Amino acid sequence: MRKITIDPITRLEGHGKITIFLNDDGSVANVYLQIPELRGFEKFCEGRPVEDMPQITQRICGVCPEAHHMAATKALDDMFHTEPTSTAKKIRELLYSAFYVTDHTTHFYILGGPDFIMGPDAPVKDRNILGVIAKVGMDLAGQVLNTRKENHWIIQAVGGRQIHPVFGLPGGVSKRISEEDRQKIEEIAKRDVAFAQLSLKVFGDIVLKNKAYVDMIVSDAFTHQTYYMGLVDDKNKVNFYDGKVRVVDPAGKEFVKYSPHEYLDHIAEHVEPWSYTKFPFLKKVGWKGFVDGRESGVYRATPLSRLNAADGMATPLAQAEYESMYSTLGGKPVHHTLATHWARLIELLYAAERLLELAQDKEITGPNIRNIPTSKPTEGVGIVEAPRGTLTHHYVADEKGCIKKCNLIVGTTNNQAALFMSVKKAAEQLIKPGQDIPESLLNQVEMAWRPYDPCMSCSTHTLPGSMPLEITVVDSGGNTVRRLSR
Amino acid sequence: MKPRVAFFDFTGCEGCQLEVLNFNLEIVDLIGAVDIVEFREASSDHSDDYDIAFIEGSQTTDRDVERVQKIREKAKILVALGACSCTGGVNALKNRFSMEENLKVVYGDSAKLYSTIPTRPTSAYVKVDVQIHGCPPNRNEVISLVKCLLTGKKFEQCHNPVCVECKLAENICAFERGEFCLGPITRGGCNAVCVTGGRKCWGCRALVDEPNVNSEKEILKKYGLTMDDMMLQFKLFNGALEVSK
Repeated sequence: MRKITIDPITRLEGHGKITIFLNDDGSVANVYLQIPELRGFEKFCEGRPVEDMPQITQRICGVCPEAHHMAATKALDDMFHTEPTSTAKKIRELLYSAFYVTDHTTHFYILGGPDFIMGPDAPVKDRNILGVIAKVGMDLAGQVLNTRKENHWIIQAVGGRQIHPVFGLPGGVSKRISEEDRQKIEEIAKRDVAFAQLSLKVFGDIVLKNKAYVDMIVSDAFTHQTYYMGLVDDKNKVNFYDGKVRVVDPAGKEFVKYSPHEYLDHIAEHVEPWSYTKFPFLKKVGWKGFVDGRESGVYRATPLSRLNAADGMATPLAQAEYESMYSTLGGKPVHHTLATHWARLIELLYAAERLLELAQDKEITGPNIRNIPTSKPTEGVGIVEAPRGTLTHHYVADEKGCIKKCNLIVGTTNNQAALFMSVKKAAEQLIKPGQDIPESLLNQVEMAWRPYDPCMSCSTHTLPGSMPLEITVVDSGGNTVRRLSR
Repeated sequence: MKPRVAFFDFTGCEGCQLEVLNFNLEIVDLIGAVDIVEFREASSDHSDDYDIAFIEGSQTTDRDVERVQKIREKAKILVALGACSCTGGVNALKNRFSMEENLKVVYGDSAKLYSTIPTRPTSAYVKVDVQIHGCPPNRNEVISLVKCLLTGKKFEQCHNPVCVECKLAENICAFERGEFCLGPITRGGCNAVCVTGGRKCWGCRALVDEPNVNSEKEILKKYGLTMDDMMLQFKLFNGALEVSK
């Protein structure tokens, strides 16, 4: 195998770079994706006061700092043996719901949605937010921007800052919500619910009423039968902020339900000699390679996975949409990766409804926002659902209250193995022995990995939504036979 | 002709660019006044025509250093955007360990395939014309910088410590709440946003010019804290200061 050198910490080198290696006969042998792997943070944190963790770990990612901040804060609760007050829990979940609304909105309209809204065969120049605006109209586009802006305001008002919030403390939060802000949040949440419903309608009109799209969703090219993971509440409903991690098998039956503390009994990480990233898998099934099926420990942790792993949604409108999706796609679980976009919109609606519930909760403006820890920190695990997958933070403190050991299983990392499999399968559709490699390989590959919304910086920082993507195809002699980029 | 602006990202979380570009309507107006030159490694040979270069993130490999030096050659004005570029930011926490150790923890036996260098501020490698501090920076400060660049005015960063803005915001002193706050010695310009959010200053905007050392010593004494305590806090975002001298 040819040696590949990849920068260990910088994310820059990894922008959507994919290398495909071919066999002697010209068929696909292997696919490599460069995705940032920032686990250097686990070393960075050593020797830092444990209270720093919500600050340090959220710097892993400017896209979803709220998720790291929240997992770290929950790990601190655990380390200090301090249960947050009821109001504090609700304030945290309120912020987290607003965060989900912004994140899922961004993904559907700006990152992943353009594939669908514009159609799989639309020219690259139209597959971006500008193309989306042209198709869905300025009114909806204005609502997209406004939804993001308003929910960013909630994050700022409740969390102290929009990017890299500061409010998480062991045992609670740092700031109350004023009645004035609560009223504003309630109004925003009502608009969020309407916006989420409208988004599902747009998806229905543009995607589900078009047979070509539906055929594509259910096609084998975009299907893998894997295990699914997601956080659930005590009624097995989807929950982003708290609960137990539930895993269902490829037939949809509960395989395991574990508490944060038990995660090491169930999750192990496979290492490939050629890779700079690790591949988590279900320990009790075992690592069988990059394959799907019941015998393979590969699992997925995505919006669709969360829906598959739960028995339903905890809010009424989202529950109705949940039922509608499964009845349309032939029951649970759904293995079609592209349905992840649909599941994400159902989660958007749930997040909006939950935000509204919490904004209307009498306790939310309460004064009792923190239980002050009275013991020394020891060891703790915090788990939340990041938009891109189950996020686990695990810390051990030394006698001075500084970090001795830190282990993070980051959202996107859960899906590494499945992501490779999906990209490989998509590439195999278009790379055949003895045939030229078509330009459409770019679209096909992009559509395969978009549903996972891998947290690559390239997903977010380009204006206006075009994605830098480079695919290099290398034959068995090590020669580059095709290079496609945009 | 509109000034041509390029953003280059190195090691970081990209929160700086997100903070700036988060669909803020004022930014949209400003974007109309400049040409954003997209820069990608894939097309580097053809997109090196720019006036203003924003550097986000730290340089953590020799290749990064070469790259930022090339950018410096082309750019008329080079801006260090955010803590990682200005001071090394949280990336510099790794400087407390040997680079071999860092790589081994992350990559195990494959560590020999990779390389990394201690984190230093961008100014350790090239001349930096303007620094926009913060993790992330305050977007109003970025807007005011772009306005200055457009009109040819000199950009002035804030010369007060965070403490001044914090008092204006009428916050209760974080020390009184039992927190270790770096507000007395950290450069302001953020409106003391973290203290207003109920917490403390972590020093992400680096040391203010001519910090009042005597006053800081008095504060430490008053709350029974030591210089070592302060350095532990300060190094969260400013761990590269020693290597940058």
